[in-house]
Amino acid sequence: MIEFDSVTKIFQEKDRVFTALSDISLSISKGEAFGIAGKSGAGKSTLLRMINALEEPTSGTVTIEDTTLNNVNKIHLRSLKKRTGMVFQQFNLLYNKTVAENVHLPLELHNHPTHLTVEEALHFVGLKDKKDQYPSQLSGGQKQRVGIARALITRPDILLCDEPTSALDQNTTEEIVQVLKKAHKAFDMTIVVVTHDLLVIKALCQRAAVLENGELETIIDVSQSNKQTADRPYYERAIEVLGSD
Amino acid sequence: MIETINLYFEHVLEYLPRMLESLGETGIMLFFAILAAILLGIPVGTLLFLTSSGNPMEHHLLNRLVNTLVNIIRSFPFLLLVVAMQPFIRQIYGRATGDPIAASFPMIVIAIALYARFVEQSLNDIPKAIIETAQSMGATTWQLVWKFLYVEARSSLVIGFTTAVISFVSYSTIMGVVGGGGIGDFAIRYGYQRYETDIMYTAIVLIILLVGLFQWLGLKVAKILDKR
Ligand SMILES: Nc1ncnc2c1ncn2[C@@H]1O[C@H](COP(=O)(O)OP(=O)(O)O)[C@@H](O)[C@H]1O
Ligand SMILES: [Mg+2]
Repeated sequence: MIEFDSVTKIFQEKDRVFTALSDISLSISKGEAFGIAGKSGAGKSTLLRMINALEEPTSGTVTIEDTTLNNVNKIHLRSLKKRTGMVFQQFNLLYNKTVAENVHLPLELHNHPTHLTVEEALHFVGLKDKKDQYPSQLSGGQKQRVGIARALITRPDILLCDEPTSALDQNTTEEIVQVLKKAHKAFDMTIVVVTHDLLVIKALCQRAAVLENGELETIIDVSQSNKQTADRPYYERAIEVLGSD
Repeated sequence: MIETINLYFEHVLEYLPRMLESLGETGIMLFFAILAAILLGIPVGTLLFLTSSGNPMEHHLLNRLVNTLVNIIRSFPFLLLVVAMQPFIRQIYGRATGDPIAASFPMIVIAIALYARFVEQSLNDIPKAIIETAQSMGATTWQLVWKFLYVEARSSLVIGFTTAVISFVSYSTIMGVVGGGGIGDFAIRYGYQRYETDIMYTAIVLIILLVGLFQWLGLKVAKILDKR
């Protein structure tokens, strides 16, 4: 369980004070796929980054599985990050490492008792044949698959995705959504997805928070369409997306 | 014409043993400078990067201190640095003049400061997202440096190193003033002071070839290492 309790984040710069998040309280259950929606600058990334302590609340608390992050020491934080995977908008791969080396990287940082092999992780995202290539030789969608494989190899309890499809085109977005969906089913983990793309949340998440100007507007239960988006004809999707109000 | 060429080769042959000896002295000075650049220049440059603001080991005082030190050494006219270091070298090495090892001390100092700057610059060029990724994985600072930063910076580290070594060659040519010898000193002594112009130009061409070789080798290695 991930719990935000009255979390406020204020960024202090030289000549301005900026409230990125104000008084956010919400809780995400274990195993849930949770979306955080909002326009650019709404505070989505800041909220997400608090879950693995990349960002610290100015006030309020973030609690992960009974551990309140505000008062844990460095070693404990490391072990928390060890159980959390992260997927980035710009993939953040090391361009001087091969696909296999990139995916293996998290295993070199910590001792993980249960983890996937590089082959298993790459097989899962459908990139087994690319393992000796370098990221510069891959398409955007393939790079993001590498990013996902790298996050999954440690078998994380929590997977954080920050705009995982925002650098990709529509078709590739759907592919990546399917990979994340499959991962959620297969690995029994909590997924938190930040995106401005409502369709991604619709396809992937059970609930979603909507942020605006650092404030939590509402939390919605996402009504899942049973129909698999990717399998349906384009015109049907066009009617659904464009025709509904 | 042929006679002139023959004469030239005879002349060079006559000076060859002394020329090779000078090259050996240059080699000794470069060796120490290169060793210092790698063993100390890289850590100092990394420290400069890590302690600068917004980075994982942010520390204003330490950063300011090391930064100032590097600036002072780099802005010191090298000839004056050599002279200023004499008492210090005598203290720890026993003698300050007359051999290439004594002459290596100022080379070491400038090598550390010069390459540290290049290393800092190389690390600055890495996208901040890489640091964030390492932190999101819970990497220690040590792991960040070795498994992320040096990996992504490696080809620019090599290019900076090449540029630094070429500067070391240049610095080494004036070490004759403290009897350090070297190929530069050779060119000055035989060519400039004893009017053996052909010998001087031969030595200069040799230095240019040496620099060219470093340049070529450095770019080649950097290219092999760069997969971006
Ligand atoms: N380190 C920072 N320093 C100052 N302001 C920041 C910092 N990080 C984010 N912000 C500001 O906080 C606001 C929310 O940012 P962010 O969480 O990245 O929004 P989103 O992900 O929804 O686009 C933005 O206006 C941004 O400029
Ligand atoms: Mg964002």
